[in-house]
Order: sequence, then C-alpha cells, then structure tokens
Amino acid sequence: MNTKPAPDLVVQNLSVHYGEQVALKDVTLQIEGGQILALIGPSGCGKSTFLRVLNRLVDRSAEAHCTGEVFLGDTRVLDPKTDVVALRRAVGMVFQQPSAFPFSVFDNVAYGPRLQGVRSASRLRSLVESSLKQAALWDEVRGKLRRPAASLSGGQQQRLCIARALAVSPEVLLLDEPTAALDPLSTAKIEELILALRGDYTFVLVTHNLQQAARVSDVTAFFRQGRLIEIAPTRDMFTAPKCEETEEFLTGRYE
Amino acid sequence: MRGIGWHRAALAGSLLVGIMFLGIIADLVWQSLGVLSWHFLWSPPSEMGRGGIGPEVRNTLVMVGAASLISLPLGLAGAVFRVEYSGAPLFVKVFDRVRFTFLSLPTIVVGLLVYQWVIVGLGWPLSIRSGIVALVVMNWPFVVNVGIEALEGVPDTCREGSLALGATRSQTLRRIVFPTALPALVAGLGAATARLLGESAALIFTAGMNVAVHWSWGMPGETLAVHLWYLRTESLAPYANAEAAGTGVVLLAVVALVLYLTQKIAHWLKPRDYSRKSA
Amino acid sequence: MKRQMGMGDQCLYRVVWVGAFSLVVLGIAIFAILFWGTAKFVLAHGLNQSLLGLIYEPTQGRFGLLPFMAGSLVVSGIALAVAIPLALSLAVTVVDMTPRRTETVRQILSGLVAIPSVVFGWWGLSVVVPAIRWISGHSGFSLLAAGLVLAVMILPTLSLLSINALTRVRVQWVEGSLALGATPDQTMGRLILAVSRFPLLEASIIALGRALGETMAVQMVIGGRVLLPHGLVSPGATLTTQILTDMSLLPPGVSGHHVLDFMALLLLAAMYGMVVLLERTRRMSP
Repeated sequence: MNTKPAPDLVVQNLSVHYGEQVALKDVTLQIEGGQILALIGPSGCGKSTFLRVLNRLVDRSAEAHCTGEVFLGDTRVLDPKTDVVALRRAVGMVFQQPSAFPFSVFDNVAYGPRLQGVRSASRLRSLVESSLKQAALWDEVRGKLRRPAASLSGGQQQRLCIARALAVSPEVLLLDEPTAALDPLSTAKIEELILALRGDYTFVLVTHNLQQAARVSDVTAFFRQGRLIEIAPTRDMFTAPKCEETEEFLTGRYE
Repeated sequence: MRGIGWHRAALAGSLLVGIMFLGIIADLVWQSLGVLSWHFLWSPPSEMGRGGIGPEVRNTLVMVGAASLISLPLGLAGAVFRVEYSGAPLFVKVFDRVRFTFLSLPTIVVGLLVYQWVIVGLGWPLSIRSGIVALVVMNWPFVVNVGIEALEGVPDTCREGSLALGATRSQTLRRIVFPTALPALVAGLGAATARLLGESAALIFTAGMNVAVHWSWGMPGETLAVHLWYLRTESLAPYANAEAAGTGVVLLAVVALVLYLTQKIAHWLKPRDYSRKSA
Repeated sequence: MKRQMGMGDQCLYRVVWVGAFSLVVLGIAIFAILFWGTAKFVLAHGLNQSLLGLIYEPTQGRFGLLPFMAGSLVVSGIALAVAIPLALSLAVTVVDMTPRRTETVRQILSGLVAIPSVVFGWWGLSVVVPAIRWISGHSGFSLLAAGLVLAVMILPTLSLLSINALTRVRVQWVEGSLALGATPDQTMGRLILAVSRFPLLEASIIALGRALGETMAVQMVIGGRVLLPHGLVSPGATLTTQILTDMSLLPPGVSGHHVLDFMALLLLAAMYGMVVLLERTRRMSP
C-alpha cells in the first residue's frame, strides 16, 4: 500500500516544558523504520506528551516548549521551518477516546483525502474502500457507509479512526492508548490489525496494558516522571529488565 | 504556518467589532461631557436648555423596581411548576411554545396591548402605574425563563438525595433546590432588570413622555430610555443631543451597576469548594 | 399508587399551578385579542386593501401593509447579513483563546447585550445617518441605516450564541482533524463550522427575532416613510415603527384602529413561526 519505506525515528536529548513544569527530560532513543515501539509507564510520565511532539500537536498548548532534536527519516520535526501540515499528513494519530467525527462513515475516511484536494467521487470511493479494508472494518460496514459513524460500536469506531488515518497514506502511526476504552474482543481485533500493518509503518504505541506491549511491540521504552528509564527489545525488557525501577513497574509494585 | 488566512480575516473582523463598540461608548461619553454634572442628575428637564434628568432617574428606578418585584413571584411560580411538577408532555410543549413566543413578542406590541386594556379599557391615565403594568407583562416570560434555566441547572441527584431522606417536595425545594439555583437566579434577574431599564417602546404610550412636578403613581412617568429617545427625536431643546448623550451615559451606568452587583452577589452565593484550598 | 401530599406541598403546588397557567392564559389571550381585532378589521376593510395593499393612507381607508412587511424583512436581512460574518469572526477568534480569556470575552459580551436599544439609535443618528447622507447624497434616514444599527445591536447576542456553539465542538474532533494534516482554516471550515451549523442557525434565528421585534432604534433612523421603498438608501418604515407612529394617529375608536392589531398579529405570527423553527433546529443539533 505504502510505496515509501517507513522512516526511522531518532530522538536526541528531547525535553518538553509546560511553563515551569517539566513533562519530558532529556530523552534519547532510536528505532528502525517499520518497527513497533511501545511506551509504558505510570500515568503522567510523559508518554502522551512524547506522542504529541512527534506530530507537533504539542504546539496547541501555548506554554509548551520543546528542546532537543527529533528526526523522522530526514524530517527535523522540531525545526520551526518544518511544514507542520505536511508533517501531520505523514504522521497519523489515533486517540484514546474514539474520536470519529460526527459525520457518516464514508465522510470520516474521506476527510483526509478531501483536505488534500481529492474531489473525484470514484477516487474517493476506492480510497475509502481500501483504507477500510486495511483497517479490517470493510466487511462490517460495507453497505452502511452513509450511516453516521456514531452508530458504530466503540471498537468499530476506533478501527474507523485507524482507517481515517491510513487514508492519507502516512508513514508513521501514533497510537495513544487505542484500546483503553474497549472490551477485550475489540482490543484483540485492534492488536491483530497493528500486527498486520507492521513493517509498512513505523508505530509508536502508548499503552497502559503491559501484556499488550509484550504481545505487539518490537521495542519497549519505559518512562517515569518524564525520563526514559530503559529502552530495550521487548522480549529482553519483559524477561530481564536491566533497571530495578523497570522491574518494579513490570511486576506491579507501583502504578 | 499555512492555512490561517481565514483566521487572520476573522481576527481583523473581531478587532473591528471591538473598535466599533469602544467607539460607540467613547462617542457617547465624549458628547455627554458638556452636560454631565450633579445639577444634570438632580434637576427637572427643561425645553429651554440646561435641564436635568432628576425625575427620569427616579421614575426609572421606581418603575423598574416595582415591576421586578411584581414579576418575580409570578415568574418563579411558573418556572417551579414547569420544572418541578409538570409531568404532562402536552402541557410542557404548549407552555414552552407560549413562553418562547411571549418572550420574543416585540415590546411595542406589549405597549399596544396594555394601552388598549389599561388606558382605554380600564380608563387609567398615562401614568407610572400603567407603565409598571407594561413592564410586568414584558418581564414575566423573561423571569420564567431565567427561573427555568436556573432550576434545570440543579442536578437531579440533589433532588433524589433529599427525597430519599424522606423530605417532602416543598422541603426539598426550599432547602436544596432553591439554594443551589440561587446564583444563576440572581444573575438572570440582573439581566432581566437591565432589560427593563433599557425599555422604551412599551412605555411611550403607557407611562408617557412627560414628568409630573409632584410625583404620584397616577402621574405620567417618563423613564431615562424614553427621555433619551424623546430628546433625540422630538425635542427642540438647544442642548438636546448632549443631554441625550448624558442620559445615555447615566442609563448605561445604572445598567452596568445592576449587572455588576448581581454578578458579584451571584458569585458570592456560589457554594465554595473548601477541599481545593491550595496547599 | 398515589401518595397523599402534605399541607405545605399542596399549598405550594396550587400557587405554582396558578402561576404557570396564568402565563399560558395571558399568552393565549394576547393572541385571541389581536386575532379578534384583526378579524374586525378584515371584515370592515377587506384583505385586498390591507395585507396585499401597497398604499397606506388610513384617512382614505387604504391600509396597504406590504411596504411595512417589506421594510421589516429588508432591515432585518441587512442586519443579519452584516452581523453574521462579524459574529462568526469573533467566535472563530475566541475559540482559539485560553478558556480564561474566552470567559472574559463572554462576560464583556453579556454586558454589551444589555445596552439599551435607544443608545444604538442615538449612535445611528450621530454616526450612521450622517455617514450615509455624506456618501449617498440622500437624507441618510434609510433602510440601510436601520439595518446597520440593528446589525450592531444584535451583534453581542449573536456573537455570544456563536461562541457557545463553537466551544461545544469536542477537542478530540479538532485534534483528530489537525492530526490528519488539516490546516487551521480547513479544521474551522470543514469540521468546526460543519459540526455546529445547526446551533449557528439557531443563533441566527434568535438574532432575527430580536431584529424583527426592535422598534425604537429602527424608528430613530429609518425616516418613517410609508411608501414601498425603492432602494436601500431610501427611507421606509417597518411593522414595529408603524405601530408606534400610528398609536397616536389611530387611537381606539377611530375607524382603522384595528390595523394596529393586524400588524401586531403579523409580528406575533412571525415570532411563533420562529419558535417552532427553533424546536426543529434544536432537534437536529448534535
């Protein structure tokens, strides 16, 4: 589907402040294109801020201030000269709460392509169909494309949001606790979907669900209080964490 | 940043709006500077110039005060019935249609009706009391609205909690619902009073356009808003424009004072959250 | 099962029952009286010479109301056409501010809502009418002047309601749109305004109601001519201003007094129509 190879993600000395408050401090990490990076850690540890830096959604809070370097492929994400709109087209994002627009299923998926000036009905239809198929939702919604997105179940809405993101052919997908509001069956479907798309996109997945990180990701990073404590291949991290703090967290000694 | 052209245009439009309103108020104040004085505030109007607005201030306060006091219980009763008691969907539908239509009824129509009923029908003179009737008719649906919005802002869990403890309907209303709704009620009544202060169309043919030397309920009672209109349309007084501006400034000041005080009281009445005291 | 109400409860129930029903009775009485007056008028003078007539000469028995209906519609139309873009501008700008600043703007606007309409009439006389006189060469008293004064008068209400409509759009939707690579303008046009189109329509209807019902600010600047206006800068009259003018010319008892009831009934019917329309748009809102 994607012609361009998924880009590497390189983060060097990234710090984010909200006014006086430190959200991320001196984070350095690197993953190869096409891999799935899972971010774990207690609430408020800076995982979501990290995601919002990658597509510069962090700009929405006037108080936020970022320092350091972030590269997505060749793009310098934090450079003020970087075209944020182009960056966001290359970096899809799925949120914790299903954020399907109050439009029809079709219009939700067609929203992104239309932004880029795609007008032709047949082109839109084929884009919508292929994106929904990629998101494993097509079989459930074919023939119901004109229904409001709100009539879908929570899990279906979340896959709709993934389809919506895929329709603008991104290279990176950011998933912010995509299954936190879902039942186990829908969660399994989303995880299956992520694994099916693996390799075509670089994934950054924030999750509260440690098993999910273990099941899905290639690399896991553990954050605490804005610092990156440990990053390692997922298998190593879950079998033999290097840091004591990581072990304490993984064994549930604190939340 | 690209794609913010429309946002820029909107910012320009907003600045235009801000400048326009500042300009209106500044113009009004500027033109009034020549007449504003204690003398202007206390003395009676004069067609020969150098008059004041003393009687108008008094009439406005008396009429708006009386009309507010009368329409308050009338309006609250309607609101309490609609929110706390009415169950029949048909009644709610009819009641809401009547109150919204009544509320948006042009005030000149209220003036016409009160003129027909009270001045012609009952033979009352063009007077302060006829004007009060017009203001009450105008204010009633507004107070009902204010009451309904305030009462609907009280969460049902409050009522259920009280009823579950064995309180009667009226006890729940008095001890739980009213105190909770009070801030919104006070703020809404401030808006209602401000609306009455500025009213003129309903009063021209009910309270009249002159002031009496000796104040009485049965004498004509021109208000500030009517006086401003009169000065700027019919009066031949030499300083009519400046006096109109001065009347406008006084009127705006009274309106602002009422809104400010009711907001303050509403804020003060709000239950405070002591648990969130800063550490 | 019906439980016995206590004494206090029963007493309160009766009092509020009377309060609620008397409002309904008064509302219906207003309609009935205006309808009765209109019926008397129509029986005496016929519909051709009134509702559909172009010429208004009460002393000659001609009561054409079309000039006033046209005046009301044109003046309110100008007001909405000018006020809607400005109110939307303000709303678009304000929703991007911090919640605290948005609240400040809201408070200022709710103060401006309370400015008496005669003050806007005064402003119309000292600024708008001379400006139009200077530009057009006519007297300046005109439908255009009335429309502009009304536009400014309804602006605070319209802005306040528009801001409320736009701030109800969920943050997740806005961020979802931005994350898809929508520019701020695209997010505003395709998402925020699209989602809040019914609340915005509702706001416009409420503002239209205020514009149609306003008397004094319009009367001060419109010029009060009873002929069908032939242009925006020519003077005219509206249903409300004509009621004001004719209350002294056609007192009760004079033949033709009930034309005032007719005009009032037309206004009442317009307001009722708007209330029903609002019920519909509210149902469409998300």
